[in-house]
Amino acid sequence: MTRHKISLEEFHRMVEAGVFPEDLRLELVEGELLEMSPIGKRHAAKVARLTALLAPLVPEKAILFVQSPLVVGESELYPDLALLPPRPDFYEERLPEGKDALLVVEVSDTSLRHDLGVKVPLYAKGGVPEVWVVDLEGRRVLVHREPREEGYKEVRPLGPGESLSFMGVGIPVEVLL
Amino acid sequence: MLRHRFSTEDFHRMHEAGILPEDARVELVEGEIANMSPIGKKHAYVLNTLVDLLSPLRGQAVLSIQNPLVLGPFTEVYPDLALLKPPRTRYRDRLPEGEDVLLLVEVADTSLDYDLNVKVPLYARAGVPEVWVVDLARDRIHVFRRPAGEGYGEREALEEGELEVLGLNIPVQEVLP
Repeated sequence: MTRHKISLEEFHRMVEAGVFPEDLRLELVEGELLEMSPIGKRHAAKVARLTALLAPLVPEKAILFVQSPLVVGESELYPDLALLPPRPDFYEERLPEGKDALLVVEVSDTSLRHDLGVKVPLYAKGGVPEVWVVDLEGRRVLVHREPREEGYKEVRPLGPGESLSFMGVGIPVEVLL
Repeated sequence: MLRHRFSTEDFHRMHEAGILPEDARVELVEGEIANMSPIGKKHAYVLNTLVDLLSPLRGQAVLSIQNPLVLGPFTEVYPDLALLKPPRTRYRDRLPEGEDVLLLVEVADTSLDYDLNVKVPLYARAGVPEVWVVDLARDRIHVFRRPAGEGYGEREALEEGELEVLGLNIPVQEVLP
């Protein structure tokens, strides 16, 4: 007996057919629907802070997707933050895909293993060029670059005193920890 | 990360909306959509044999073949055969549930482990009074009686002799191919 793998199309039709309550936060991870844990205040605050820091890029240089869908292969993930190339329709016509993304950021408090073990490899496979995982417990940011089919070729841990930079925006690591 | 569980109500809504492919043989097992294995010729033959052997019970029970059976809010399965409490009209406006079953039979070729370890405990929990699992690989019938919690108080494996249901005797050797 095998589990029926839910396709992206089935997932979208389930949403349209009202199969799920509005307030349920789900991710489709390789055919499986996972319920996302509620967001704690520390997690929420870090996402808000990142949003503020990256806001100057919007809307001329990038569009900011916050906890919104990103399609990678047959999965649909909800990264904490995704920077996307500008589009006049703000991706209303179609959902953004991994290869569209400029940068994805995940803030991890309790979800580090899931983020690093499941989501980051999917982002790599989907061609997301750069992923930051903010590891709140480990007090570091893991910067992933050079996506390959099997994962990111470059993984660099940055700690307090170091700085992140993206499209001309500089972010000291400690403000995220 | 919690796997999302579908309810039988969700499952029905998906069928109505035509979300699952028409030809998909799927059942809902504890909130998960499970693919059912294709039915081989031996399996089909044994099921037809059982229908023949049980047909004298017409009037005493409703003979339900590979039809839905609801076991709680998250499970809807399609047992190979179920003898249900009569009359047939009892199930005109609702699906049968565990307590409606007099006898349930599963024919297992490749699915024996799944039937014994996943299905049988579900049947016990739902109060199905008697289950026969026909093991086509080893030519025997596993019999379960007296449901108690997650299992059955009485179980035996028969290679010969007779089974009895509602006063009708069924020779084991006639069921086995």
